[in-house]
Amino acid sequence: MNRREFLRRAAKASATIAATCSFAYWLYEDVPPGPLQGHSPVVLPDFSIPDLRGRMSIVTGRDRIQTIRRALKAIGGIEAFIKGGDRVLLKVNAAFATPPILSATTNPQLVAEVARLCFKAGASSVVVIDNPINDPASCFTLTGMAEAARLVGARVIMPTKESFKPTTVRGGALIREWPLLYDPFVGVNRVIGIAPVKDHHRSGASMTMKNWYGLLGGRRNILHQDIHNAIKELAVMVSPTLVILDGTTTMMTNGPTGGSLGDLKQTNTMIVSTDQVAADAFGATLLGRTVTELPYISKAESAGLGTADYESLNPVRESTG
Amino acid sequence: MEEVDFLSFNLVLFYHGGNRGISRAEDISVVGQPTKRETSIGFGILLVLAGIVIGIFIKQFHYNRAIIGGVLEGDTSAIRTAGLSGELLVEVAEGMVPLNPAEIFGPENLSDKIDGKAELYLSAGFLRLLCQRFAEASDSNSWMEGFVYDMGTLRRAFAVYSVQRRADAEKIPGMEFAYRTENALFFVHGKYYVEVIAAVMTEEIAEAMRSFAHNFIGKTEVQGGRIEELALFPPEGLDEEGITLLISDAFGFDRFDNVFIANYAVENVQLMAFLSMRENPSAASELAAAYHGFLMANGGVDVKSDVKIPGAKLVKILDTFELIFSQGKFLAGVHEAQDRGLAEKLAMTLIQKLSGAGT
Repeated sequence: MNRREFLRRAAKASATIAATCSFAYWLYEDVPPGPLQGHSPVVLPDFSIPDLRGRMSIVTGRDRIQTIRRALKAIGGIEAFIKGGDRVLLKVNAAFATPPILSATTNPQLVAEVARLCFKAGASSVVVIDNPINDPASCFTLTGMAEAARLVGARVIMPTKESFKPTTVRGGALIREWPLLYDPFVGVNRVIGIAPVKDHHRSGASMTMKNWYGLLGGRRNILHQDIHNAIKELAVMVSPTLVILDGTTTMMTNGPTGGSLGDLKQTNTMIVSTDQVAADAFGATLLGRTVTELPYISKAESAGLGTADYESLNPVRESTG
Repeated sequence: MEEVDFLSFNLVLFYHGGNRGISRAEDISVVGQPTKRETSIGFGILLVLAGIVIGIFIKQFHYNRAIIGGVLEGDTSAIRTAGLSGELLVEVAEGMVPLNPAEIFGPENLSDKIDGKAELYLSAGFLRLLCQRFAEASDSNSWMEGFVYDMGTLRRAFAVYSVQRRADAEKIPGMEFAYRTENALFFVHGKYYVEVIAAVMTEEIAEAMRSFAHNFIGKTEVQGGRIEELALFPPEGLDEEGITLLISDAFGFDRFDNVFIANYAVENVQLMAFLSMRENPSAASELAAAYHGFLMANGGVDVKSDVKIPGAKLVKILDTFELIFSQGKFLAGVHEAQDRGLAEKLAMTLIQKLSGAGT
């Protein structure tokens, strides 16, 4: 090979490499992909009632039935939130196939009472949902929620693959094109979240905002890597009519599964609020934690989702004795 | 010299690679134009490559980290990836029947079973979980669930056991790492950490739980072994059942792994001692210095100490005292002590124990 031939070949090779790199650069995008073709992201509507924002009640007592009745009455009664013909969705925590005594899931008696009150206020339907991932039927059955719902005429909707649609949270960095348990929301106009107060190994606490995690499908466990921002985005994703935070029995340690009665403490408190940030901020006190120890609360407040200064809402405080 | 077309040039490079390709190209340039067959093969290869590129190009628009590499979109049946076993996890007492087949979970889907607590196990080297529910044959509401976590080693199993120890734990006699609470049993058997949790508290279920534990231990062979560090904490004032192994990020310091902590009552004041075995003495002293640096970088202030431990550092941070030293291949100290004098006193007993053990 002579010098001229060498240079010619080197030029050709360089041109090939440059073309390949240019093509790769042309393909590169530094923003996440857009919506899937034919699968436009869904967004949950705002289920809150503008005139009733900022209401909160904190009722102490050992009996959940009594405390939830009193707590709802204290903020205007269930009738203020549920009207005749309303279609209500109760988002419970049925994450684990564990018995009610472990308080790792929403208490079935509480679910039944809230559903009963909704029907009494005129609701035309009440559905109970969660996506436990691991064997939903066992989770709803062994937690007692399936039977509790059945007894009062509410319907438990088991998630199926077809129930999910991709959603992207407004301004979200984590929940983008994420499968959302959407179908049960179709036709619903009132949403109530019902969650127990629990310690959580990753986020520090699992309360009303973390409860929306159960609406996601897919590999949601990776959200635990940035759990506080993920919970904030969950709270952006759902604007509920009402949240109920059950602090009758609080899981103080080894959450979110617990396992021993020794993980639990009787804190005898029921919180009802239209402000999920305020509810969680108060719930933190039941766990003996401060808002600063649970960064997702401040993040949610900064996102304009509510107030961590729950006292500013002048919560109604009562006791059932 | 005859011209070699660009396609043939690259194909020859692709086929032979490097210098051999160039020499082959020279051969071709001498021989002449490629045959029609060579050209057809070349185009065929290019078409295949183009097909792959187009496939990747289309696929990348469908990227979704909710679905890549794991459970399918909207999946409600992770149980199928969890795996099922037709066999009983453990033989249980007469009168008990399995409520479900044994389930198997690996690191990729452990969170499907225990959600956020999976991180605790994964950071400790979790390998596999087997679990199964059993109920009384006469009453399906009277049930219990057994969880068998394969942690790979005794040390890792002890780690997850120790950090979850319940406040109301009642030690089970005759077992080194085992306790019961009102509704559950928790124990370590070799590399396994086992939980047996009851839905109701009846004598039948209590007996079934004991049977589960007995049968599992009896029929599961494990390698022997001891955790040497446990014997290196001085016994005076020690809460023997409260020793905990932190596998990683102890005290918020990312280099602090495999750290044992123990609670003491010294003159009715609660103190916490820690120790960690490193590869060699120099590694221990280097890590002690690094931890000291970590404390100083986070607002700590050196305090002069009269403790007679060579190289010991006493740091005041957030109104508590941190005493750090190394002895042989051990890094040790006292963590978050409210009382400086008692911290120094505990440190002295700790180093005497370490010295006496020939470390």
